[in-house]
Amino acid sequence: MHEHLDALEKRMQQLQHAMRQALEQQDDDQVNALRQELRRTQNAYDALFSPVEAPAPSHRTPEALAPASSVERQLGGPTAREQVRQVLALLTVPAAPQLLSQVHQAFFFHALNTARLATLRRDEERSFRATPDRRSFYICPALACDRFSPVRALLALSTWPLEQRLVGPLTARVNFLTSALRLADAAEQLPGTWPMPVQKLMLYYNRNIPGCPDTRGQVDLDALREAAAAELAVHADDDADTRADASQHALATLDAAGQIFGTPLHDTKRQRRVS
Amino acid sequence: MSPLDPRLDVLRGTPRPLPHNARTLSALTANPSCDRRVLLDASGIDKDALAAHLGAPPPLRESQLALDAGIAFERSVTAQGGAELVRLLRLTLGFTLPEVGYDDLKSVATDDDTSPQHLRHIRTRQLVLDAAQGKSGDHTLLDHPVLSLTVAGHPVHLEPDAVAFQHHGVFYVVEIKSFPVIDGQADETQVGWALVQAAAYVLALRELLADADLPPERVSDTVVLVNPLNFSRVPTATLCDARKKIKSLHRHLNQLRRIPELLDKLPAGTSLDLLLDRTGQPTRPRIELETVLTALPPHYTPKCREHCDLSLYCRQEARTQGRVELLGPEVCHDAAGIDTFTAALALTEGQLHPARDRADTVHALRHAQRVHQDFEAGIA
Repeated sequence: MHEHLDALEKRMQQLQHAMRQALEQQDDDQVNALRQELRRTQNAYDALFSPVEAPAPSHRTPEALAPASSVERQLGGPTAREQVRQVLALLTVPAAPQLLSQVHQAFFFHALNTARLATLRRDEERSFRATPDRRSFYICPALACDRFSPVRALLALSTWPLEQRLVGPLTARVNFLTSALRLADAAEQLPGTWPMPVQKLMLYYNRNIPGCPDTRGQVDLDALREAAAAELAVHADDDADTRADASQHALATLDAAGQIFGTPLHDTKRQRRVS
Repeated sequence: MSPLDPRLDVLRGTPRPLPHNARTLSALTANPSCDRRVLLDASGIDKDALAAHLGAPPPLRESQLALDAGIAFERSVTAQGGAELVRLLRLTLGFTLPEVGYDDLKSVATDDDTSPQHLRHIRTRQLVLDAAQGKSGDHTLLDHPVLSLTVAGHPVHLEPDAVAFQHHGVFYVVEIKSFPVIDGQADETQVGWALVQAAAYVLALRELLADADLPPERVSDTVVLVNPLNFSRVPTATLCDARKKIKSLHRHLNQLRRIPELLDKLPAGTSLDLLLDRTGQPTRPRIELETVLTALPPHYTPKCREHCDLSLYCRQEARTQGRVELLGPEVCHDAAGIDTFTAALALTEGQLHPARDRADTVHALRHAQRVHQDFEAGIA
């Protein structure tokens, strides 16, 4: 699996390099041809990619990201869907549009258009219901533990195990602490002084996790991780039990679409939007 | 359905009634003796539309920019399972580490942005009772629950920013406001309004517990007020004692029982229906509405402009009639029993002989007039 991903990554880099050359030579036809080839390669990469096996974006330095994003920007930028996938793969927990946007701005250089995310989740469901499993992943809502209904403003990846997408009463806090750990790892990889959005985000976590030292605008990542892990230990078992029970029940009772997009209350308006 | 409903429906006419909310309830405590407002609110008349048709300019409103900033601040406090709120509750009320359970009640069993209020109320009731009866220890924070308060025989849905439940059995109402606390101090008027709103939530929560035979005292008199700290957007929490406001609002809500008396005073068939046409334009002649309104006595005070859509109409009416109320409650109190400027001037200038019990007031008025004349002569 890894050698395939390596080959595809190499191929994408070659294509991006070629596209830049074509752009410099103002050869639009060549740019378009290369762009289509890059998209095909990216789709193949997505099909093989899974968060466990592939390196998370947190392990990529800004230098590694910069060439890709600059080319993407010249070509109209990555889709909102791809941007959300990148951030969710980094966080590993369901997240609200506002957090997705903040993290994307901090670690992927520009904020997300949160207004587009509302329509994105409907588009994904519509696509799945029309031709199930055509895409390698779907942006889906997190599901409530008690009724398996979609949770408002919490997005997840369909490739995650159901347990990772379920939300109980303690899950919001567990997800908050988990995302603190993931972002601390990602921030550690950044060289030099943190950009303002990263600084702002890490101060937010530092302020709201008990036991983090107040160091006047500075964040001690080791102390932050230690404090987050300590509080996580208090909630993790109870939360995991709730989610595991719910997951077993959901797997036994829901069909494939239900396991991804949940079972909302019967609402004709909503059904019209997604069918 | 209340037995008064048919009479209130006649007064309102064909439009659907506008329900009370925490703001209109808190306005009741600001000017409880205004019969006009009591009847208009009880029948759910759209005062804004009425004022517009009567040609009165609308009172100044908070700008959309300020409203958006307020919503953004509220979202930042409740984001990520109320991460900021959990910190503030731990700091101010000593919530323990395991007390972090979070339930989002803006929508129920759907990922739509909001659900119908009655569904949200059913879910809120279930979670509050589960927590109160100890069935589940995981419901600490309820984000935007929907409570129900009986006002003049009708249930009114109210939506606090958050309700926090502490494991030893006490509920706290949390009110998030975007006015700042600067150097430990906030604008007293704004705090006052926030506490009256919070008082409505406390009463509604107590009603919910009382209906389930649980002690209503389990809802604390203490309200957690969350505001931006100094000139930043970092939230800070203050514990406020809302006991006086709760008592005051409770008393005013009980006074709404006088609605039947007020209705009895109106001629049969009195209606403020704007008679909207198909395009939604009012067709009722203004003169008719003005005649009807004179049968509903107002009690105008300058502060009405802060909370009533019809206030500028009432002000214009008071000006036309030369009523002393225009100058505020302090002047009304000093001029005890003298209602109009014409009467005050006639008494001061001696065209009218004062009754014995007004002699002191007239003496004071004449003294004030002399001071004023001396002052004007001095300037000249």
